[in-house]
Amino acid sequence: MATLLEAKNVTKIYAKSQRPSLNKVSFSVTDGEFIAIMGASGSGKTTLLNVLSTIDTPTSGSITLNGINLKNLTDSKAADFRRDNLGFIFQEYLLLDSLTIFENIAVPLTLQKLQPKKIENMIRSLAETFGIDAQLDKYPSELSGGQRQRASALRAIVKRPSILFADEPTGALDSSSATDLLNTLKESNESIHTTILMVTHDAYAASFAGRILIFKDGCIIQELLKQNADRRAFYESIAHEIAKLDTER
Amino acid sequence: MNHLSMALKNLKNNFSFYALYLLSISFVITIFFAFTSFSMNKIMLEKISGDGRVETMCSTISVFLMAFVIFYMSYSNRFFLRRRTKELGIYALLGYRKSTILSLLTVENLLSCFGAFVTGILLGGLFHKGIVFGITELLDLTVNNSEIPFFNLNAMIKTACFVFAIIIILSLSNSKFLFKSSLMDLVRFEKSAEKQTKFHAVPSITGFVSVILGYCIALDILRGEKSVWFSAGFYAVGMFTFTLILFGTVLFIASFLPYAVQTGKKNKKKFYTETRIITSPGFIYRMRSNSKTLIMLTLLSAATLTVSSVMALTLYYPIAAISRIAPSEIECHIENESDLSAIMEIVNKYSSGDDITFLQTNIYKVTSTARQLPMEYSAGTFKGDAGNEKILRNAGFECISYSDYTAILKAQGRQKALEQFTALNNNECIFVRYQPASGKDETGSTYPLLINNTEIPVTVTMTTLDNPISFANSVGTLIVSDSLYKMISENAAPETKVLSINGSSITGNEELFQALSAYLDKSPYLQGNSHRIHEVVSLNSSTFLLIGFLVVLFFIATGSILYFNNISAIADSKSDYDILTKMGYTNRTIKKIIRKQAITFFSIPFLSGLTDCIFATLVYKTALMQNLLADSIVLYAPTILAIALTLIIYMIYYCMTVHTCCKMVLEK
Repeated sequence: MATLLEAKNVTKIYAKSQRPSLNKVSFSVTDGEFIAIMGASGSGKTTLLNVLSTIDTPTSGSITLNGINLKNLTDSKAADFRRDNLGFIFQEYLLLDSLTIFENIAVPLTLQKLQPKKIENMIRSLAETFGIDAQLDKYPSELSGGQRQRASALRAIVKRPSILFADEPTGALDSSSATDLLNTLKESNESIHTTILMVTHDAYAASFAGRILIFKDGCIIQELLKQNADRRAFYESIAHEIAKLDTER
Repeated sequence: MNHLSMALKNLKNNFSFYALYLLSISFVITIFFAFTSFSMNKIMLEKISGDGRVETMCSTISVFLMAFVIFYMSYSNRFFLRRRTKELGIYALLGYRKSTILSLLTVENLLSCFGAFVTGILLGGLFHKGIVFGITELLDLTVNNSEIPFFNLNAMIKTACFVFAIIIILSLSNSKFLFKSSLMDLVRFEKSAEKQTKFHAVPSITGFVSVILGYCIALDILRGEKSVWFSAGFYAVGMFTFTLILFGTVLFIASFLPYAVQTGKKNKKKFYTETRIITSPGFIYRMRSNSKTLIMLTLLSAATLTVSSVMALTLYYPIAAISRIAPSEIECHIENESDLSAIMEIVNKYSSGDDITFLQTNIYKVTSTARQLPMEYSAGTFKGDAGNEKILRNAGFECISYSDYTAILKAQGRQKALEQFTALNNNECIFVRYQPASGKDETGSTYPLLINNTEIPVTVTMTTLDNPISFANSVGTLIVSDSLYKMISENAAPETKVLSINGSSITGNEELFQALSAYLDKSPYLQGNSHRIHEVVSLNSSTFLLIGFLVVLFFIATGSILYFNNISAIADSKSDYDILTKMGYTNRTIKKIIRKQAITFFSIPFLSGLTDCIFATLVYKTALMQNLLADSIVLYAPTILAIALTLIIYMIYYCMTVHTCCKMVLEK
C-alpha cells in the first residue's frame, strides 16, 4: 500500500505555552489504514488532528498528504485541499441546524460542484447503509445523538475523502449508538477503503482500528498493531497498555 | 464581591461587547436631549413660530420620540440580554438567586445609562447648538447665541427623569425574562433550536394577492374621476388600501417569502450551489423568529420613506409651482399713471442694477359665446367649497398680445419656453391653462370672442403652462395676435394694467418687496417670485426640520436594528461557519454567504418599504396636491433624492454589518 500521509518532526508550540503541544512527531499513514490516536487529556491528540487537517499550522516539521506539502498551502488553497481530500467527524456532530439531514450531507458535494441528480443518488444509496434513510428530510434537532453522528459520518464519507479525521466521534454517544457508528466506520474502511484517523480516549472505540498511536506530552510513546488478533483480544491489550500508562503517571 | 464591583468588573472585562450598547443608548439620549433642549428653547420658538404651531408639533414629536427611545432601548437591552443568557445561567448554577441576578443587571443598566446620559448631555448640547445655528442660517434670523444656554437645566432634568423611567422599564422587562425562564432555559438558551417553519399556501398567496390588490387600488387613482377613490370616497378607500397593504405585508413576510424560498429549493440546479444550499435554508430557519422584526422594520421603513418622500415633494412642489404662481420677480397692478413712476423710483432706491426691465401689460377681458368654455374662463367668479376667494373676478378670457407675451417671457429669462412658439395669425390664439390637461386639451377649439358686439372666432393653436402673469392677476389668459389685440384695445378699456419687473439685480431683494408692499398698501395683486419662495421656506422649514429630524432618527433606528439583528444571527451561527471552514469553504465563499444573508435582511424592509412609499406618494400627489406643473421626472427629483439618501444610509449600515459579521466569523 502507498503512503498517504507522512508527518516528519512535527512540532507545535502555542504562544502562551511553555512546552510544545506536539514535540517532533513523526509517523506515516498508508492508504486504507484505520488508525486510532490515544492519550490522556492534553497529550496533543487534538492538536495533531488539527495540524494534519490544515485547520492549524505546525510550528516546525513537515506534513505531506497525497503528495502535497501542507506547509506551503495558503488559506484558500488549504480550504480547497480540505474540500477535495478531507472528511471530518466531531464529537459534537457539528451539523448545520438550519439544514435538513439531506441538505447537510449535500453540502460537501455541492462544494465539488456535482450535478444535483448525482448528489441525490450518492446520498440515497449511502443513507440506507448508515441507517438514516428515513431521517433525511428531518432537521438535526429532530434526531437522536446516534442518528446525528451517523449523519455526520455520512456527510464526511459521502464525498469519498482521501482521509477521514474523527475527533472523539463516540464521545457523546451511548454504548449502542457508539458501536453502531464504529461498525459503520469499520465497514467504510473495509468496503470502500476509507483511510481513517480517529482520536479517542476510549479503548473500546480504538479496538476497531488496525493501529494505535499512544500520545503523551506531545510525543508518540507507543504503537500497537492489531495484526491478526481479534477485536476483543486487541481491546484487552489496548486497555492493558492504557492502564499501565495510567499507573506510571 | 458586591453587585457594584461585579457590574463594574463585567463592564470593564467586556468593554468591546458593551461599547456597542453604550454607543447606541448614548446616541438615542443625545437625540432626545437635543430635541428636548430645542423644544424648551423659548428664544428660538418665539422666532420661528408665533402661533404655537411649532410648540404643538414639538409636543407631538416628543411623544413619538419617547416611544421610539423606549422601544429602541428595550430592543438593545433584549439583544444584549440574549447574548448573555448563558452567563446568567452560570450565575444561576453557582447559586445566585434570580433577584440577585436582576439586581446585577439593574446596576449594570444604571452604570451604562449614567455613562450614556453624560455622553448624551455633552453631545446633545452640541447637537442642539448645531440645530440652532442651522435654523438661524436657513431662515436668516437674528439670534443672540449667548442667551441660549449650552445645557438647558430643564431639559437635563427631563432627560434624567426619562432615563430613570427607562431603567425601571428595562428592569421590569429583565425581571419578566428572568422569572419566566427556567435554569435549563438559561443555560441552553443559545443552543435552543428555532421552531420549524410550516409552509401554508393559503396565507402565502393571500399575503401576495393583498399587497398586489392594494397597489392596484392605489394605481386606480390615476383614472381620475372614474376611479374608485372618487366614487367610494377618499377616506374609505384610503383606509381600505392601507389595511390591505398592512395585512398583506404581514402575511407576505411571515408566510409568502419563506414559502417562495422553500418552493425555490425545488429548482435543484439552482439550489445545489455552495452558497445557496446554506443561505436558502438559513433564511427559512431564521424567518420564524425574525419575521416579526422584519415586519416591524418594513412598516417603519415604509412610513419613514413615505414621510421623507412626501415631505420632499411638499417642500419642493410649491417652490417649483411658484414659477407659475408668480413668474415675474415682482408684479403688481397699476391703478393710476402716477403709480408707475413711484414704483420705478422705489425700485431704483433699493437696487442699483441696470438689468431691470419694467413691462406694462394691459389685459382686456373678452367674453365668449361658445357653449363649451374651459374651466379657466369662469374660474374665481363664485365662492368655491372652501370659500377661499377673497375677491371674485368676472368671467371671460384675459387677452394679451403675442408681442407682450414674448417680451415678458424674455424678461423673465424663459428662453426655452419662447422657442416653442411661432407668431400667430389673425384668428389664432394660445391658451394658457391653469392645470395640465388630463385628456384632450383645448388645442383646435374655436371660441367666438365678443368684441364690440361682434363675434370674432379665434382658434386655439396650442395650449401652454408658461403663463407670463401671476394667477393673482390673470387666470384664463388668452394670447392673441397683435392685430386682434389692437382691435380689442380700440373697442374697450383694459380690465387691468399689470407691471412686470424683472432683472437679476433685484432677485431675492426682500427689502424692495416690503417697500413696494407698503406703497401698494399690502395689495393682494403684488406678487413676487423670490418673495413667495422665501415665504414658503419660512413657513415650512421649521415643520420640515422637525419631521426631517424624526425621519433621520427612524432611518438610523431601522439601520441599527438590522445591524443588531444580523450580528445576533451571525453570533448564533458562528459554529456553523466553523463547520463550513472545516469542510473546505474558503473565506471568500463564507464572506459571500454572509453578504447574501445580510442583503436579504436589509433588502426586504427597504424594497418593500420603497414600493409602499412609491404608491403612497403617488396617491398623495394625485389626490391631495394641486397639479400646476406638467408631469416631469424633475418634479420627483427631491423624492428620488430622499430615496437615494435612504439607500445610502442603508448601504452604510449594510457595509458596517457585513464588516462586523465577517470579522466575527473569520477572526482566528
